[in-house]
Amino acid sequence: MENLINPSPVLHERKSTHRNKVRIVSSNESEREPIDTLEIFEHIRDITDPEHPYSLEQLNVVEEDLITVNDDSGHVKVQFTPTVQHCSMATLIGLCIRVKLLRSLPKRFKVDIYITPGAHSTEAAVNKQLNDKERVAAALENPNLLDMVNKCLIST
Amino acid sequence: MARLEQTQVLEGHTDRVWNVAWSPKGDSIASCSGDKTVRIWQRHGTTDTWICAAILEETHHRSIRCSSWSPDGRYLATASFDATTAIWEVQGSTWEQVALLEGHESEVKGVAWSSSGSLLATCSRDKSVWIWESLPGNEYECVDVKQGHTQDVKMVCWHPKGEVLVSCSYDDSIKVWIDSDGEWECAQTLAGPGLGHSSTVWGIAFDTEGRQMVSCSDDQTLRVWACSFDNPGCGDNAIRLFESQAQEGHEKADGSLPSSTFCLAVTKQNAHSADVNCVRWSPSKPDLLASAGDDNTVRLWLYTPDPDTVCSR
Repeated sequence: MENLINPSPVLHERKSTHRNKVRIVSSNESEREPIDTLEIFEHIRDITDPEHPYSLEQLNVVEEDLITVNDDSGHVKVQFTPTVQHCSMATLIGLCIRVKLLRSLPKRFKVDIYITPGAHSTEAAVNKQLNDKERVAAALENPNLLDMVNKCLIST
Repeated sequence: MARLEQTQVLEGHTDRVWNVAWSPKGDSIASCSGDKTVRIWQRHGTTDTWICAAILEETHHRSIRCSSWSPDGRYLATASFDATTAIWEVQGSTWEQVALLEGHESEVKGVAWSSSGSLLATCSRDKSVWIWESLPGNEYECVDVKQGHTQDVKMVCWHPKGEVLVSCSYDDSIKVWIDSDGEWECAQTLAGPGLGHSSTVWGIAFDTEGRQMVSCSDDQTLRVWACSFDNPGCGDNAIRLFESQAQEGHEKADGSLPSSTFCLAVTKQNAHSADVNCVRWSPSKPDLLASAGDDNTVRLWLYTPDPDTVCSR
């Protein structure tokens, strides 16, 4: 790419993670373990940035601490932090996160995706678009856009 | 207690069902889906079981977002993300595509037939509302293209009695369009702090007489314009029915309606196993409700109001 939006992003190491809370071992083997923030993070940490050969985790775009999950009610909320305030890739990054979770989670989960408050100049507009499921559905029927999303998801 | 009981699940679509539309007589339901087909459901013989009577396919190559029956029940118009609107004609039980309306630059989100059947309105992601005239021989002519919304137009709805068109949009506003000497113009914009919605307006509906209109929005509220009730489908998988409290006074002397209150008559949690995209009352059986969901199903419901009162008055 010729004109990078953020030519020299700050890089972070891929962290090793561990569960903060020990999972309660169920006596009933058939009982499934609830989905937690770490599991959501594992799904999205290795998504490749649309313009850099780095993962969203390496660019600090996604962090486990910015994910909230309520397994009982089937709600997931992911906040992500674009590397720069004017990042024009913000919508595409959010779309990649949405598609990845759409493909990975059981259908009963509802996912809200937001930009970390204060992290983007057109935060409200990007949030509105990412959470309009009709526009997301239409976007995913666009072969070029779907192709771009799939490229970012190959690494996951 | 008021009750809402499921009577049947109509399965067959292989992707989310965006919308359901009752035929004017209430004997058919058209459901349209992300699987690029429309299914026509009809009562099986004299039973209360609904079956798929026809599948309309191979015209649209992207999601079908919305459909609308002509008032005489002979035609169905379908709006698609492929930027076209198709007109289908039914003869007996055979459906045939008889026209394709092109012109929108991007996804068509809504289509609606006027009460006379002579006009058709479409709206699109391209921010415009188009008004088409139905001419003999399955010809359709675009009579006006209305710009005015600043964003994606989600739905169009005609007044049940006259040629007044209402549109609602991602720009948080509702616009009222009227014919003024052959030129359609925006008569009113319902928007702004203290008046309108604070996020996307997804749906609008009139009562039978058209004196009241209700709108629903991403801001999680319903707004009643001159007072009404409606039955929203929700992103939390539930269906809620609201009833207006009976007003003894009826019309005030100046013809305006008394202000009324609405109360939640029943909440059906997990009506679908995913988002509820559309709910529509049967035009012929007032207690029968159809809903469409992201779980790929259409569901039929029987509503039993509380025999005494639904609200603590």
